[in-house]
Amino acid sequence: MSIERSEPTFGRVSRLKGTVFEYLSLGASVTGIVALGVLLIYVAIDAFDLVNASPEWLLTYYVTLVLPLIGFCLYSANDRSLIRRTAFALGGGLVAMALTFSVVESFVRPIPRLTWQVAYLFVVVAPVTAYVVFVGSREPIGRTGFGLVGRVLGGTALGLSLIILFTVFDERLWFLAYTLGVLPAVGVLAYSRVNPSSPVSLLPVPVALVGFVAASVLRGPVDVYPTAWLIYVWTLVVPVSAIIAGLTAQRDGETKQTAAIAGVAAFALIGGGSLAAGSLGVSSEHALLVLLGSGVPTVMFGRRVVASDTGRVGLFLPVLLVGGALAGALIAESFGFPAPDPWLDASFVTSSPSRMPERAGLYPAIVGSVLVIAFVALLSFVLGVGSAVFLEEYTVESGVVGATTRLIQINIANLAAVPSVVYGLLGLGLFANLLGLGFGSVVTAALTLSLLILPITVISAQEAIRSVPDHLRQGSYAMGATRWQTTKNVVLPEALPGIFTGTILALGRAIGETAPLIMIGAAHTVFSPPNGIWSKISAMPMQIFVWSDFPQAEFRYGVLAAGVVTLLIVLLGMNATAIILRNKYESGV
Amino acid sequence: MATNGKADTSSEEETETIISTAIETGESRDRGPTESPRTVVTARDLDVYYGQERALDGVDIEIPENRVTAIIGPSGCGKSTFLRCINRMNDGIDACRVDGELRFHGTDVYDQGIDPVALRRKIGMVFQKPNPFPKSIYDNVAYGLRVQGRAGEVDLDAAVERALRSAALWDEVKDQLDSSGLDLSGGQQQRLCIARAIAPDPEVILMDEPASALDPIATAKVEDLIDDLAEEYTVVIVTHNMQQAARISDRTAVFLTGGELVEFDDTAKVFENPDHDRVEDYITGKFG
Ligand SMILES: Nc1ncnc2c1ncn2[C@@H]1O[C@H](COP(=O)(O)OP(=O)(O)OP(=O)(O)O)[C@@H](O)[C@H]1O
Ligand SMILES: [Mg+2]
Repeated sequence: MSIERSEPTFGRVSRLKGTVFEYLSLGASVTGIVALGVLLIYVAIDAFDLVNASPEWLLTYYVTLVLPLIGFCLYSANDRSLIRRTAFALGGGLVAMALTFSVVESFVRPIPRLTWQVAYLFVVVAPVTAYVVFVGSREPIGRTGFGLVGRVLGGTALGLSLIILFTVFDERLWFLAYTLGVLPAVGVLAYSRVNPSSPVSLLPVPVALVGFVAASVLRGPVDVYPTAWLIYVWTLVVPVSAIIAGLTAQRDGETKQTAAIAGVAAFALIGGGSLAAGSLGVSSEHALLVLLGSGVPTVMFGRRVVASDTGRVGLFLPVLLVGGALAGALIAESFGFPAPDPWLDASFVTSSPSRMPERAGLYPAIVGSVLVIAFVALLSFVLGVGSAVFLEEYTVESGVVGATTRLIQINIANLAAVPSVVYGLLGLGLFANLLGLGFGSVVTAALTLSLLILPITVISAQEAIRSVPDHLRQGSYAMGATRWQTTKNVVLPEALPGIFTGTILALGRAIGETAPLIMIGAAHTVFSPPNGIWSKISAMPMQIFVWSDFPQAEFRYGVLAAGVVTLLIVLLGMNATAIILRNKYESGV
Repeated sequence: MATNGKADTSSEEETETIISTAIETGESRDRGPTESPRTVVTARDLDVYYGQERALDGVDIEIPENRVTAIIGPSGCGKSTFLRCINRMNDGIDACRVDGELRFHGTDVYDQGIDPVALRRKIGMVFQKPNPFPKSIYDNVAYGLRVQGRAGEVDLDAAVERALRSAALWDEVKDQLDSSGLDLSGGQQQRLCIARAIAPDPEVILMDEPASALDPIATAKVEDLIDDLAEEYTVVIVTHNMQQAARISDRTAVFLTGGELVEFDDTAKVFENPDHDRVEDYITGKFG
């Protein structure tokens, strides 16, 4: 054959070292991830009491809930080879898992607290489902379906956090602040939009500040207030309805009439819905907040989907899921399959800690953590971005100022490495003792944790600002923009996604910190959620740490695991929110 | 270098013919009355240093109003540096030091009391690489008027449309003003940057190799555009392309290595009959 003669004569270059390095690093990271994965599986098994889940029970929900979900995603993805691969993975995984377990259990030793069905669930079903959801949600049908479910869930979470917010903060103060501060400021802003050259355009912030001060002064003397429900309607439902009307007119390009109808409809939906819920025995205030959080985005999304004509079928996903769950419950109930009794359930996240494991809950610690983290996010974002902008855009390189900033720069890098107990000590000495902000109070904890993560946020924000290409700045300066205008209009918008990413990572660290909280005197256990920014709090990691020390095994396994899973879920929810915000920002022009 | 001399000569001749045809057609030069126009920018004995290194050496120049002035010269001879002196974009470079005199309508630009930001509002600039902001097309063009606080005084929509029309971009983008400026092609982006520069109606427009990243068709569009701009604006353009300089400019300044301004005269004169042998060598490609 003539082809054989054309064999290359220039030999080969050895890639041995590169290959060895590649596989070593792959092996190292896989080991790490697998170890973490096994730990999380055990924690989840404890938290949801899956040890006691009978195989029949698992099978029922697998068939009524998981398989329809996978089917929906496959239908959305509409890809034959994906269907084949999914079926192969699910079926082959089942056989492989069962075989592995029987071989190991009969020849090596029994595997503790893990049945092959549960292992199949975590090792095969969960990743396959996640992958299929990922693929399916990128097609129109899946995008609609998961968009809707996401809005319902996210909106409900938003509504619940509003409820928590108003249990912590005084809604009457908010009523005064809104009426005296926010509303006039918005009015001034609108006026100055119409007449940009009038001096009024400088006023919104002062007007708002004056209003807030007036509100806090008047809160005591005034003692006739509308009911909480009316306050929510006046301060939340009315502006949201107005915004909806405005958006409908502006973004969707509808007529004024349609826009007005949309606004009134939103108002009627939320107001009426909450009153209806009130007559059914649910608190109408809470119903209003949840409806506000979930109803508005859901309906707006649904309207948009119905108006477009791609992927409308996806709107049935929630029906599919709820129907599947109900069918599963019905079957399990009527056949009497033993169901697990999860530690992590509604009562765990809504009740206070207790001596008895069955009644122990995490509610005060969740509220404490979330409240502190919200403040930390705000503080560290503002401070971090501020310092980063100063260090990157405003300082000069030479002279005394230059030397000072170089010194600051080096020290920020060092501060990032200071152990967290040291920050705890700082918080104790500075905020709790010297400034008298209270031992273990929300303010002290938030300030301490903000300081703790400030170096990380500053450094990552600097990195993000530095990566904004210089030609954009040049372009802006050449248009006669000042440095502040350039920073505000060009640099920060470009750097914001990067800044978000850095802040998310830092917040993840802050929410899990225990040592500084112990130092500043946060409570190990509190029995009611904080009722203001000065009250003493506990935080999720503190409470979990305390449980790990309790004598009863139920605490050390069940309750502890439930706490860890809750902490992780809150963390993931926070990250997801930030990532969605970031992506929205990146995709928007 | 002495090899293949024949081919060299022929390509030289070709260049020269192209240049002279461009000059003879002379469309670009019948602008306004022939009497000498007012001077907008004057440099006297202008030196610029980056640290110890000298980038401009005793430059004297008078840039006429409502004319296109081309700046040509080999790489590294200080063309961009000179351009950045005019609107004080050099201020951002810490190592840069300017000596001598540079006047804009008779006022010394480097005087203590001059605010560079206010100066730049009178002198627009277009860069070599298209650099639209990652904002919508509309916001890009409106940027100058907004940051200059004039968005309320003028009809912003009309100003954006006028600038885009002047930049010969309106017909291509009028239906997508809300889409990102980065979604345009390179040539469109550059015309967007030109529209952005002229929207606030400056007096002078500085262009640093505005067509060097563009294909011939886009280049032709930008050149036509520059020709039109000269009716209202004073244009100073740096280019590496001799034909381009010959086609579009009224006056040509030749900088040579070391940052010297060697020749500054009517474009036709510089290309047909330069005073200096070094300039002739540079133009005919014997030295680069
Ligand atoms: N930011 C800077 N820092 C230090 N030196 C610089 C800087 N910018 C330019 N120079 C130096 O000044 C001289 C002139 O540079 P300039 O960019 O003005 O040249 P140019 O004529 O525009 O060249 P080109 O045609 O390649 O764009 C060069 O020797 C360059 O090394
Ligand atoms: Mg240059």
